[in-house]
Amino acid sequence: MVDNIPGIVENFPGGSILVTTIDSIINASRANSLWPLGFGTKCCAIEMLMATGASHQDISRFGAEVVRGSTRQADLMIVAGAIVRKMAPRVRLLYEQMAEPRYVIATGACSICGGPFQYNSYHIVHGVDEIIPVDVYVPGCPPRPEAFFWGLLALQRLIKEGESIRRPDIRRKPVMASLPQGITMDDIQGEMRRLLEEQNVVNVAESAENKIWTKRLKEWMRKPSSKP
Amino acid sequence: MDAQALLQAITGVNPAAQERPNTNVPAVQVPVAGLHAFLQVLRDDPRFSFDFLLDHTAIDWMADGKFELVYQLFSTLHGHTLMVGVLIEREQPLAPTVSDLWPIAEWQEREVYDLFGIPYDDHPDLRRLFLEDDWTGYPLRKDYQDKNMLQRPQ
Amino acid sequence: MTVRVRTLDELLTPPAAGSSALSTQEYFVNMGPQHPIAHGSLRLVLRLDGETVKEVIPVPGFVHRGIEKMCEKLNPRQIIHLTDRLDYLSAVMNNWGVAKAVEKAANIETNGRIETIRTLMSELQRIQSHMLWWGVLGMDLGAYTAFLYAFRDREIISELFEETIGARLTMNYVRPGGVMFDILPDFQEKVKKLLKYLGPIIDEYDTLLSGNVILQERLRNVGVLDGKKAVALGCTGPVLRASGVPLDLRKLTPYGRYGDVEFNVAVGSKGDCWDRYYTRMEEIRQSMRIIEQLIDSIPEGPVNVLRASARISIPEGTYYDQIETARGVLGVMLVSDGKSPSPYRVHFRSPNFNNLWAVTALAPGWRIADIITIQSSLDLVIPDIDR
Ligand code: SF4
Repeated sequence: MVDNIPGIVENFPGGSILVTTIDSIINASRANSLWPLGFGTKCCAIEMLMATGASHQDISRFGAEVVRGSTRQADLMIVAGAIVRKMAPRVRLLYEQMAEPRYVIATGACSICGGPFQYNSYHIVHGVDEIIPVDVYVPGCPPRPEAFFWGLLALQRLIKEGESIRRPDIRRKPVMASLPQGITMDDIQGEMRRLLEEQNVVNVAESAENKIWTKRLKEWMRKPSSKP
Repeated sequence: MDAQALLQAITGVNPAAQERPNTNVPAVQVPVAGLHAFLQVLRDDPRFSFDFLLDHTAIDWMADGKFELVYQLFSTLHGHTLMVGVLIEREQPLAPTVSDLWPIAEWQEREVYDLFGIPYDDHPDLRRLFLEDDWTGYPLRKDYQDKNMLQRPQ
Repeated sequence: MTVRVRTLDELLTPPAAGSSALSTQEYFVNMGPQHPIAHGSLRLVLRLDGETVKEVIPVPGFVHRGIEKMCEKLNPRQIIHLTDRLDYLSAVMNNWGVAKAVEKAANIETNGRIETIRTLMSELQRIQSHMLWWGVLGMDLGAYTAFLYAFRDREIISELFEETIGARLTMNYVRPGGVMFDILPDFQEKVKKLLKYLGPIIDEYDTLLSGNVILQERLRNVGVLDGKKAVALGCTGPVLRASGVPLDLRKLTPYGRYGDVEFNVAVGSKGDCWDRYYTRMEEIRQSMRIIEQLIDSIPEGPVNVLRASARISIPEGTYYDQIETARGVLGVMLVSDGKSPSPYRVHFRSPNFNNLWAVTALAPGWRIADIITIQSSLDLVIPDIDR
């Protein structure tokens, strides 16, 4: 956990002190407690919002299980399914009702580009990114729940690395979190287990040294009177 | 009643009804005048008792300048089906409503109005169904144009 | 001539003051288009007096993609994949509906193996679909446990599908003149194991939810739809059968292998939500019976009577064919002008579109909470309404 937060760790007998920025603590907390707004319109909703939330896949392993029905309590919008022109103003409205900072995952071909309905359809919106900014795309028709989790992990990484609370409107470029061929749930679990083990034996202080945030932090501390 | 007997009985009721060729279900073609009365007979006559309107839709025969209204009838009593086709003019179309015979027709007709722009006489609640109220054009017509509609690159 | 085109706004504008004699506090409340209970995007405008519902105005169209227009540019094989996206919980049955219509129109004969595989897959999917409905009904009424149980078991069938078909939801499996892939050698064994597992599980569902007092209270005598009204409103499937009309195309005009197997049509007596609930529970059991009888008698033969590249030409004419999906009668109308490979017009008579309007007859007089029960018991899949 400490490894996830960039900063300087001072070790002394009986414990350690972590000097870090508020930003990184907030980002880490944000990333690990996303409250999604389930915006399912079509087939993807069954896989993305129902199957992932249920007993077999269980999204709560990733700390994002509190699916809200209300926009005002949510900070992650999962757009699962096709958006059509009648729906478009409502999507925008709901997006704007969400509290900052807000993130969007577009799952499925439909919400990425119109998918199977891209051609010859008079009522489709060609991708939800025509209406709202999207952070992570998860391709598939429908994506497997594992692929969705991959996208969720990608978003968590983005949040942890990215945003500053002082400049909330600066966003990173969206990423396409596609699952490479042949990756299964076991692989993802294995990877997570490996990360977990690695984090447990890693030298925290050393690894924090390499973080880009640490360098910036040190620079900032070196300056006698800097205004952020 | 098998298909032949059914068609014969129907031509007995409505001499203007013609058997419709090239189908796989019993089907007749009738003129639009007297359509409502004809359908009412089909519903109420105990020989037919078509109490179930399975489906109602339209076809745009643009080259002939006609719309065709198609009714799929079904009888829960006898278990037979019938397809009724009605040709109406494409310019200034107007069709009689059958929503007083089968309540479900109210919404099926609204769908046809929405996508084909065929208004129904005496319809209790004629509104757009799927598209927004301010949508222009009727998309299932063959000559519908929309700049949002991408063509598949060849 | 009295054609009067109205708009929704017009409908929702309250009458000018003084026009109605005693206007109590009637007001409109929007449910949807994005409502957790809608399982999709359906907008219901409720006219309320206090908490009592006076009128329901459904406003569909929030997932209207114009599938019928798209089909006019595709050939019969390409249409199949769009039907997955109508009612995605009965994808195989939808595929079969179109395939059957095309086969009838183009005079393609299939063989016993194909029909058996199609029947088996359809029944598996019917079980899966009803399971999902059961779980979701529980969730809507506040029993989250049901949801977890249903998805635990649904996943097993999903995996079976994935093994054979390669997809969990949008199958694209049945095509004109055959099916996409042959079943795997251990398919029969797995299905038998599944059936053995499911038997006690369905009983467990009953002990878990059906006998629950709260559920009984919320379902019994709520939203009564009598048989006559159901027919007039065009309902089909479990909704119609729960009202006591035994209309099941599998019995009435047997297709596939349904003529060779024994099963009963589950019928309700009263047509309230409870009847609709139990009709579906019973249908799961009947589907298991059908599978049990067929699983050991899959004839040998090819799984495709057409080559994958064979051109399917539909002769000129209008063709209509229907099939019983998990939610009712799916009708497919194909119109061909005999010239181009793609049909001139395709129309889907979707079961949910016709079932939806029952809500307008059922809801008045009930509370908002009962609307949720009623909507759940109708088991609507919104993209099938909108097409
Ligand atoms: S991407 Fe595929 S599965 Fe997802 S909503 Fe679109 S059609 Fe359905």
